[in-house]
Amino acid sequence: MNDPARDPDARLNALFALARENRPDTSTPEFAFETRLLARLRARRETGSVWAMASWRLIPFFAACVVALTIWQAEIESDTTDDAAVAGLTNPVAADLWSN
Amino acid sequence: MVPAKSSPSDEQLVEATLAGDDAAFAELTRRHKSRVFGVAARFAHDAAELEDICQDVFVQAYFKLRQYRRDSPFGHWVLRITTYKCYDYLRRRRRGGTLLSMDAMHESGYEPSAPEAPAPHPDLERLHAALAQLSPKERLVITLLELEDRSVQEIAGLTGWSTGNVKVRAFRARAALRKLMEEQK
Repeated sequence: MNDPARDPDARLNALFALARENRPDTSTPEFAFETRLLARLRARRETGSVWAMASWRLIPFFAACVVALTIWQAEIESDTTDDAAVAGLTNPVAADLWSN
Repeated sequence: MVPAKSSPSDEQLVEATLAGDDAAFAELTRRHKSRVFGVAARFAHDAAELEDICQDVFVQAYFKLRQYRRDSPFGHWVLRITTYKCYDYLRRRRRGGTLLSMDAMHESGYEPSAPEAPAPHPDLERLHAALAQLSPKERLVITLLELEDRSVQEIAGLTGWSTGNVKVRAFRARAALRKLMEEQK
């Protein structure tokens, strides 16, 4: 017969049983938990609404940025096209091709 | 005789919360906080962490309430969130390298009212110290199975693992714990 005091599994089971009986006392941290939770929820909602409001207010700014970038891109493209045309006229090979 | 005023069911409180009634959510919290605290206390290493875990659980429950399908009781759904949060905290603590020995825990302002507070039995202190050295998955499964007395099926439902997986992890966790306890001697 196995001696329960020497059997590691039996000792472990006895420890688990002891731990089950000794539940941690959570009455102190539970006290007024709902109040703290609601305060945190309110703060989180307010932070969320501030971000939402800020992002709505920033929409015209971002729209202006997009328009400015589009105009800038179009100008660069037209400059590149002009440069390419000039390069084609001065490059003898390209000029031959142009004349043909 | 004044008829007893029946309290609203969890389902009704969920509906009221979704309609914007914060008092209804406070009532839901009041009803279920003990179970959440009870489970979280097995994993938190101090009162501050316990408060953080429990707040995270209910904050997530509040913001994900629309995703709650009424196929299981609200308490079970909250307990599933609790399990995930506890596992998340265990993983984060392990990554952060804050694996504390019992002595270090006492030195770092360990509060007497905290979970895992000075165990009334010296063997329990050894058990908690050994549990703290297990991997997050091992600690989760052995705590739910042996300390919280949950069935394999329940753990599978809470963690999303298969029952076979739970059994294998529990077996390995138990072996690892036994080895750690032997080494402590």
